[in-house]
Amino acid sequence: MPIQINKGVLGKEFPPFAVTVERGKVKEFARAIGDLNPLYLDDRVGAASEWGDLIAPPTFAITFRDEGADTNALLRELGTDISRVLHGEQEFEIHRPLQPGQTYLCRAKVVDIYEKTGKSGPMAFVVRETAITDRDNEVVATMRAVTVVRL
Amino acid sequence: MKYARVYAEDINVGDELPPLVKGPIQQIQLTRYAGASGDFNPIHQDDEFAKAAGMGGVFAHGMLSMGFVAQALTDWAGAGRVKKLGVRFAALVRLKDVVTCRGRVVSRSSKDDVHLVELEVWAENQRGEKVVSGRATIELPSRA
Repeated sequence: MPIQINKGVLGKEFPPFAVTVERGKVKEFARAIGDLNPLYLDDRVGAASEWGDLIAPPTFAITFRDEGADTNALLRELGTDISRVLHGEQEFEIHRPLQPGQTYLCRAKVVDIYEKTGKSGPMAFVVRETAITDRDNEVVATMRAVTVVRL
Repeated sequence: MKYARVYAEDINVGDELPPLVKGPIQQIQLTRYAGASGDFNPIHQDDEFAKAAGMGGVFAHGMLSMGFVAQALTDWAGAGRVKKLGVRFAALVRLKDVVTCRGRVVSRSSKDDVHLVELEVWAENQRGEKVVSGRATIELPSRA
């Protein structure tokens, strides 16, 4: 018997949250991927670069989390739990690399929910978009995540 | 050469990204990625939990494989050049899997001194099965 999810979550905007990027976190993230690019790791290389400091790898914004707006918050709203979900798709649009010491504001919103039946049974696809803006309210990056719930 | 400077004029449709081979995937890397990314879903750490969830055992974060694909792009085009990267997680990456990231240029455009290159990108395991597939847009400098 498939479970039901709360489709009323469509359109929900999560509370905005601010993140200040820590230098050590950028390096830890790059090393965890095994990406030893000096622009992520070497402060002197960063300082001498066109960006004037280290930059973060393209997928770094995935670390921007807040208890009020993370996947667990989404799952609570949907009425399901983490054992049923898979990461279906992910997209980053990057206007400017994220950098240590900068503070960004993240605004996440559920922009689509649809259901499909795959070879492993019925699934719901929940699409979240997160806009990441800087102190001047300019959009620096946008993330789009598709969470798959096995129903 | 890794981190060599690539210019828009040097790129042709059909060019292939130098393949990037990552792995074999070890549990410690998944634990490390969990700490670095903040994604502590036990499905990537706890084999019993993953089995009880019907997943047959632990598997890698999709985001780790996406990080590998991003590295393949930046090793080639330079860090900071990725304007867009979108992927679908097509199959699970398991412990001991070797992940090879690949890409191919599908189009090139220049407008107002902005030079963009679009690629199809993917990652495959040691059996040649696609685990990630998607598209990327890179901005490259011009020689001019």
